[in-house]
Amino acid sequence: MKRDVIVALSFLIAFLFIAYAVTARNVLGIGGAELRPLGEFYLSHSFAHEGLTSHSPEVVTAIVWNYRGFDTLFETFVFFLAIMGALSVLRLDGEQLKQARELEAAMPHRMMDLIVRATTKLVVIMIVAISASIALHGHLTPGGGFQGGSAMAVAALLLFAAFSKFTLERKGLTLKHTISAYALGLAIILATVLAPVFLYGGKILEINLLPGETGLFNLDVGEYTAVTFGFLTVFLVLGIPEWVFKAVLRRELND
Amino acid sequence: MISLLLAYITITLFAMILLGIYGVATRSNLIKKIIMLNVMGDAINMLFILIGYRLVFPVFPPIYESHITFEEFLSRAVDPVPQALVLTAVVIGMAMNILLTTYAIQFYRLHGTVDARDMAEVVGGEDL
Repeated sequence: MKRDVIVALSFLIAFLFIAYAVTARNVLGIGGAELRPLGEFYLSHSFAHEGLTSHSPEVVTAIVWNYRGFDTLFETFVFFLAIMGALSVLRLDGEQLKQARELEAAMPHRMMDLIVRATTKLVVIMIVAISASIALHGHLTPGGGFQGGSAMAVAALLLFAAFSKFTLERKGLTLKHTISAYALGLAIILATVLAPVFLYGGKILEINLLPGETGLFNLDVGEYTAVTFGFLTVFLVLGIPEWVFKAVLRRELND
Repeated sequence: MISLLLAYITITLFAMILLGIYGVATRSNLIKKIIMLNVMGDAINMLFILIGYRLVFPVFPPIYESHITFEEFLSRAVDPVPQALVLTAVVIGMAMNILLTTYAIQFYRLHGTVDARDMAEVVGGEDL
């Protein structure tokens, strides 16, 4: 009881101190009309500078590829590692997967209401269109591969909620297919990153394969594919119903 | 008026960060811990974006279009650096979420609880 009071008091004091520093002293410099020197440098140099190759009129994208290209690349690696971690923890081996299929086939097939299913189909088509526009136009407007892929993941979640994991698998969206598509996306990214080295002896991440302002287009496509199918892979693995998983685990314990 | 509004938003965001720290420290349910971690992360990202905002009217997104002059673009566009930094933080947060959720679900499936207090007992280790 006494400890709770001390914790609450210290949080209150910290909050009051921060509030004073932010409002009265403005330590963060929020609300100024002039630009910071670093921001001005990036705004004026990022797409007009010699030797920078993303050719993007959108300054955020230009910074991300011209000055922080390796960072963005390693970000993809981190995402890859997270997905591989999830897969390796939740994976069922071949025998267990067969048991899970049998259990699912034995259960009566229940479906959501017709209204829910029809609406979901319409909404999913719209989300796919919007996410494609976010991703494939990402080198010119706000957005990019990861953002479009995240929007696509929402469409996948809707499909999982309105239909089921097993319905999607019957339609052909199996784990094998999503992992293949994920690998394809990663391969596109790797090819785009390494292509300048082999094509004309440039440095890696020197993206001027396509003419004009479209230099980042194939990277966007690769990232979009990778993120979409990476999320789908995780959802397919996470989407195994709880009772199926428990029954499979119990059988393993009994053996 | 606008600067007062910005100050309010900033204080609210700091309150959210403190709330996130408090929740991560005191809640014992793993799912609640993950939710509070997300609240904290989103508040920090929002604060970053807010630092890059400029009080000019009209304010442009940092996209250079050919129908405006370069000087006008420089005097109107918001700071692009915080946005580029937050882009990375969002992706890392997403990867962190995937991993944490996976571990929480697997722990629940194997041991039937997501309570941090029960963990030592359930796994069979010594009392911490």
